[in-house]
Amino acid sequence: MKCSDCESKLDRYVDRELNNTEALQVQLHLEGCPDCMDHYDFESKVKRLVKHSCECDTPPAFREKLRQLLS
Amino acid sequence: MAEPAEPAAATPFAEEALTHLDTLYRGALRLTRDPDQAQDLVQEAYLRALRYQHSYQPGTNMKAWLFAIMRNLFWDRFKGSRKEDVSLDDTGDFLLYEKLKDEGAKPESDVLDKIAVSEVVDAVEQLPPLHREVVLLVDVEGFSYKDAADTLGVPIGTVMSRLHRARQQLQKSLYDYAVESGIVRANGMRQVSQS
Repeated sequence: MKCSDCESKLDRYVDRELNNTEALQVQLHLEGCPDCMDHYDFESKVKRLVKHSCECDTPPAFREKLRQLLS
Repeated sequence: MAEPAEPAAATPFAEEALTHLDTLYRGALRLTRDPDQAQDLVQEAYLRALRYQHSYQPGTNMKAWLFAIMRNLFWDRFKGSRKEDVSLDDTGDFLLYEKLKDEGAKPESDVLDKIAVSEVVDAVEQLPPLHREVVLLVDVEGFSYKDAADTLGVPIGTVMSRLHRARQQLQKSLYDYAVESGIVRANGMRQVSQS
Protein backbone atom coordinates (compact mmCIF):
# COMPACT_ATOMS: atom_id res chain seq x y z
CA MET A 1 0.00 0.00 0.00
CA LYS A 2 1.24 3.48 -0.90
CA CYS A 3 1.10 6.38 1.54
CA SER A 4 -1.49 8.08 -0.68
CA ASP A 5 -3.71 4.98 -0.50
CA CYS A 6 -3.32 4.93 3.26
CA GLU A 7 -4.17 8.62 3.45
CA SER A 8 -7.34 8.16 1.45
CA LYS A 9 -8.53 5.49 3.89
CA LEU A 10 -7.40 7.17 7.09
CA ASP A 11 -10.76 8.75 7.96
CA ARG A 12 -12.53 5.41 7.64
CA TYR A 13 -9.76 3.64 9.53
CA VAL A 14 -9.99 6.13 12.40
CA ASP A 15 -13.77 5.70 12.36
CA ARG A 16 -13.45 1.89 12.20
CA GLU A 17 -15.46 1.80 9.01
CA LEU A 18 -13.12 -0.28 6.82
CA ASN A 19 -13.78 -3.94 6.25
CA ASN A 20 -11.38 -6.38 7.88
CA THR A 21 -9.19 -6.79 4.81
CA GLU A 22 -8.82 -3.06 4.22
CA ALA A 23 -8.23 -2.39 7.91
CA LEU A 24 -5.47 -4.99 7.99
CA GLN A 25 -3.82 -3.48 4.93
CA VAL A 26 -3.84 -0.04 6.55
CA GLN A 27 -2.58 -1.47 9.84
CA LEU A 28 0.32 -3.21 8.13
CA HIS A 29 1.23 -0.02 6.29
CA LEU A 30 1.09 2.02 9.49
CA GLU A 31 3.35 -0.41 11.29
CA GLY A 32 6.02 0.11 8.62
CA CYS A 33 5.55 3.83 8.00
CA PRO A 34 6.28 6.23 10.88
CA ASP A 35 4.99 9.24 8.91
CA CYS A 36 1.59 7.70 8.28
CA MET A 37 1.51 6.38 11.85
CA ASP A 38 2.11 9.93 13.10
CA HIS A 39 -0.71 11.15 10.92
CA TYR A 40 -3.02 8.41 12.16
CA ASP A 41 -2.19 9.22 15.78
CA PHE A 42 -2.90 12.88 15.10
CA GLU A 43 -6.29 12.30 13.48
CA SER A 44 -7.27 9.91 16.27
CA LYS A 45 -6.30 12.53 18.80
CA VAL A 46 -8.39 15.19 17.07
CA LYS A 47 -11.37 12.84 17.14
CA ARG A 48 -10.89 12.16 20.85
CA LEU A 49 -10.46 15.88 21.50
CA VAL A 50 -13.76 16.68 19.78
CA LYS A 51 -15.57 13.94 21.69
CA HIS A 52 -14.09 14.92 25.03
CA SER A 53 -14.74 18.62 24.48
CA CYS A 54 -18.38 18.20 23.44
CA GLU A 55 -19.33 15.78 26.16
CA CYS A 56 -21.66 17.10 28.81
CA ASP A 57 -24.31 15.60 31.00
CA THR A 58 -27.93 16.60 31.16
CA PRO A 59 -28.61 19.07 33.98
CA PRO A 60 -30.09 16.99 36.86
CA ALA A 61 -33.04 19.37 37.33
CA PHE A 62 -34.03 19.01 33.69
CA ARG A 63 -33.65 15.24 33.83
CA GLU A 64 -35.98 15.13 36.81
CA LYS A 65 -38.48 17.47 35.20
CA LEU A 66 -38.54 15.33 32.08
CA ARG A 67 -38.89 12.14 34.06
CA GLN A 68 -41.91 13.55 35.87
CA LEU A 69 -43.39 14.79 32.63
CA LEU A 70 -43.13 11.32 31.12
CA SER A 71 -44.55 9.56 34.17
CA MET B 1 -60.69 5.67 46.91
CA ALA B 2 -58.85 3.79 44.23
CA GLU B 3 -55.36 4.79 43.29
CA PRO B 4 -55.30 6.65 40.00
CA ALA B 5 -54.17 4.52 37.14
CA GLU B 6 -50.51 4.78 36.25
CA PRO B 7 -50.20 7.17 33.34
CA ALA B 8 -49.54 5.44 30.06
CA ALA B 9 -46.18 7.18 29.66
CA ALA B 10 -44.63 5.43 32.66
CA THR B 11 -43.73 2.49 30.53
CA PRO B 12 -40.59 0.52 29.83
CA PHE B 13 -40.53 2.42 26.57
CA ALA B 14 -40.25 5.76 28.38
CA GLU B 15 -37.64 4.38 30.74
CA GLU B 16 -35.54 3.07 27.90
CA ALA B 17 -35.93 6.33 26.00
CA LEU B 18 -34.63 8.24 29.01
CA THR B 19 -31.42 6.20 29.02
CA HIS B 20 -30.53 8.13 25.84
CA LEU B 21 -31.21 11.54 27.36
CA ASP B 22 -27.55 12.62 27.55
CA THR B 23 -27.08 11.94 23.85
CA LEU B 24 -30.17 13.94 22.95
CA TYR B 25 -29.32 16.79 25.28
CA ARG B 26 -25.73 17.03 24.02
CA GLY B 27 -26.94 17.00 20.44
CA ALA B 28 -29.62 19.59 21.10
CA LEU B 29 -27.21 21.82 22.98
CA ARG B 30 -24.67 21.78 20.18
CA LEU B 31 -27.33 22.28 17.51
CA THR B 32 -29.16 25.15 19.22
CA ARG B 33 -26.09 26.50 21.05
CA ASP B 34 -28.44 27.53 23.83
CA PRO B 35 -29.22 25.51 27.00
CA ASP B 36 -32.83 26.73 27.29
CA GLN B 37 -33.60 26.03 23.65
CA ALA B 38 -31.90 22.67 23.99
CA GLN B 39 -34.14 21.69 26.89
CA ASP B 40 -37.25 22.82 25.00
CA LEU B 41 -36.18 20.84 21.98
CA VAL B 42 -35.40 17.69 23.95
CA GLN B 43 -38.66 17.89 25.87
CA GLU B 44 -40.64 18.26 22.68
CA ALA B 45 -38.71 15.38 21.12
CA TYR B 46 -39.55 13.07 24.03
CA LEU B 47 -43.20 14.01 23.97
CA ARG B 48 -43.31 13.35 20.25
CA ALA B 49 -41.45 10.06 20.72
CA LEU B 50 -44.06 8.92 23.22
CA ARG B 51 -46.86 9.96 20.93
CA TYR B 52 -45.38 8.00 18.04
CA GLN B 53 -43.89 5.13 19.98
CA HIS B 54 -45.96 2.69 17.92
CA SER B 55 -43.75 3.57 14.96
CA TYR B 56 -40.62 2.49 16.81
CA GLN B 57 -39.61 -1.08 16.01
CA PRO B 58 -38.38 -2.83 19.17
CA GLY B 59 -34.88 -4.17 18.79
CA THR B 60 -33.80 -1.41 16.43
CA ASN B 61 -31.59 1.51 17.38
CA MET B 62 -33.69 3.63 19.75
CA LYS B 63 -30.93 6.18 20.26
CA ALA B 64 -30.80 6.85 16.53
CA TRP B 65 -34.60 6.95 16.32
CA LEU B 66 -34.81 9.51 19.13
CA PHE B 67 -32.00 11.59 17.70
CA ALA B 68 -33.76 11.65 14.35
CA ILE B 69 -36.93 12.97 15.99
CA MET B 70 -34.96 15.63 17.82
CA ARG B 71 -32.98 16.82 14.80
CA ASN B 72 -36.09 16.85 12.61
CA LEU B 73 -37.77 19.10 15.16
CA PHE B 74 -34.67 21.27 15.17
CA TRP B 75 -34.83 21.65 11.42
CA ASP B 76 -38.58 22.36 11.54
CA ARG B 77 -37.96 25.13 14.02
CA PHE B 78 -34.83 26.53 12.53
CA LYS B 79 -35.36 25.84 8.86
CA GLY B 80 -34.90 29.52 8.15
CA SER B 81 -31.26 29.03 9.05
CA ARG B 82 -30.69 26.52 6.28
CA LYS B 83 -29.23 29.36 4.25
CA GLU B 84 -26.12 29.21 6.36
CA ASP B 85 -25.63 25.64 5.18
CA VAL B 86 -25.11 26.47 1.58
CA SER B 87 -21.43 25.79 1.45
CA LEU B 88 -18.46 24.69 3.39
CA ASP B 89 -16.02 24.53 0.55
CA ASP B 90 -14.18 27.79 1.01
CA THR B 91 -11.28 26.27 2.90
CA GLY B 92 -10.29 23.92 0.09
CA ASP B 93 -8.23 20.99 1.24
CA PHE B 94 -6.98 21.71 4.71
CA LEU B 95 -5.26 19.18 6.90
CA LEU B 96 -4.08 20.47 10.24
CA TYR B 97 -1.53 17.69 10.51
CA GLU B 98 0.07 18.59 7.19
CA LYS B 99 -0.03 22.30 8.03
CA LEU B 100 1.72 21.82 11.35
CA LYS B 101 4.21 19.41 9.82
CA ASP B 102 5.08 21.86 7.06
CA GLU B 103 5.54 24.61 9.57
CA GLY B 104 7.85 22.69 11.84
CA ALA B 105 5.65 22.21 14.89
CA LYS B 106 6.98 18.98 16.40
CA PRO B 107 5.49 16.80 17.56
CA GLU B 108 2.33 17.92 15.80
CA SER B 109 0.01 16.42 18.37
CA ASP B 110 1.48 18.56 21.18
CA VAL B 111 -0.38 21.49 19.68
CA LEU B 112 -3.66 19.72 20.35
CA ASP B 113 -2.82 19.46 24.05
CA LYS B 114 -2.72 23.24 24.26
CA ILE B 115 -6.08 23.94 22.66
CA ALA B 116 -8.74 24.78 25.22
CA VAL B 117 -11.87 22.66 25.39
CA SER B 118 -14.03 25.78 24.97
CA GLU B 119 -12.27 26.54 21.69
CA VAL B 120 -13.02 23.08 20.36
CA VAL B 121 -16.67 23.47 21.31
CA ASP B 122 -16.72 26.86 19.58
CA ALA B 123 -15.18 25.36 16.46
CA VAL B 124 -17.81 22.61 16.42
CA GLU B 125 -20.64 25.08 17.01
CA GLN B 126 -19.41 27.30 14.19
CA LEU B 127 -19.91 24.49 11.70
CA PRO B 128 -23.07 24.81 9.62
CA PRO B 129 -25.74 22.59 11.25
CA LEU B 130 -25.83 20.08 8.39
CA HIS B 131 -22.16 19.40 8.95
CA ARG B 132 -22.25 19.86 12.70
CA GLU B 133 -24.81 17.11 13.18
CA VAL B 134 -22.60 14.59 11.36
CA VAL B 135 -19.67 15.41 13.65
CA LEU B 136 -21.95 15.09 16.66
CA LEU B 137 -23.22 11.69 15.58
CA VAL B 138 -19.95 10.13 14.40
CA ASP B 139 -17.29 11.78 16.55
CA VAL B 140 -19.13 12.62 19.75
CA GLU B 141 -21.72 9.83 19.93
CA GLY B 142 -19.77 7.16 18.08
CA PHE B 143 -22.44 6.34 15.50
CA SER B 144 -21.41 4.20 12.55
CA TYR B 145 -21.69 5.86 9.15
CA LYS B 146 -24.73 3.69 8.44
CA ASP B 147 -26.50 4.63 11.66
CA ALA B 148 -25.68 8.29 11.04
CA ALA B 149 -27.01 8.00 7.49
CA ASP B 150 -30.22 6.36 8.72
CA THR B 151 -30.63 9.01 11.41
CA LEU B 152 -30.16 11.87 8.99
CA GLY B 153 -32.03 10.26 6.11
CA VAL B 154 -29.14 10.61 3.67
CA PRO B 155 -26.88 8.13 1.83
CA ILE B 156 -23.68 6.94 3.54
CA GLY B 157 -21.66 8.77 0.90
CA THR B 158 -23.25 12.03 2.01
CA VAL B 159 -22.31 11.31 5.61
CA MET B 160 -18.73 10.69 4.54
CA SER B 161 -18.44 13.81 2.42
CA ARG B 162 -20.06 16.04 5.05
CA LEU B 163 -17.83 14.55 7.72
CA HIS B 164 -14.73 15.10 5.63
CA ARG B 165 -15.55 18.72 4.94
CA ALA B 166 -16.63 19.33 8.52
CA ARG B 167 -13.33 17.98 9.81
CA GLN B 168 -11.37 20.16 7.42
CA GLN B 169 -13.29 23.23 8.54
CA LEU B 170 -12.93 22.25 12.18
CA GLN B 171 -9.19 21.78 11.82
CA LYS B 172 -8.91 25.11 10.03
CA SER B 173 -10.69 26.80 12.94
CA LEU B 174 -8.39 25.10 15.44
CA TYR B 175 -5.36 26.14 13.43
CA ASP B 176 -6.54 29.76 13.29
CA TYR B 177 -7.07 29.69 17.04
CA ALA B 178 -3.62 28.16 17.60
CA VAL B 179 -2.05 30.95 15.56
CA GLU B 180 -4.10 33.73 17.18
CA SER B 181 -3.31 32.51 20.67
CA GLY B 182 0.39 32.05 19.99
CA ILE B 183 0.41 28.27 20.33
CA VAL B 184 1.98 28.19 16.89
CA ARG B 185 3.39 30.92 14.71
CA ALA B 186 2.26 31.10 11.12
CA ASN B 187 4.65 30.98 8.18
CA GLY B 188 7.77 29.02 8.84
CA MET B 189 6.92 28.72 12.47
CA ARG B 190 8.19 26.87 15.41
CA GLN B 191 5.91 25.77 18.12
CA VAL B 192 6.21 28.16 21.00
CA SER B 193 5.57 27.28 24.58
CA GLN B 194 2.78 28.97 26.46
CA SER B 195 3.86 30.48 29.72
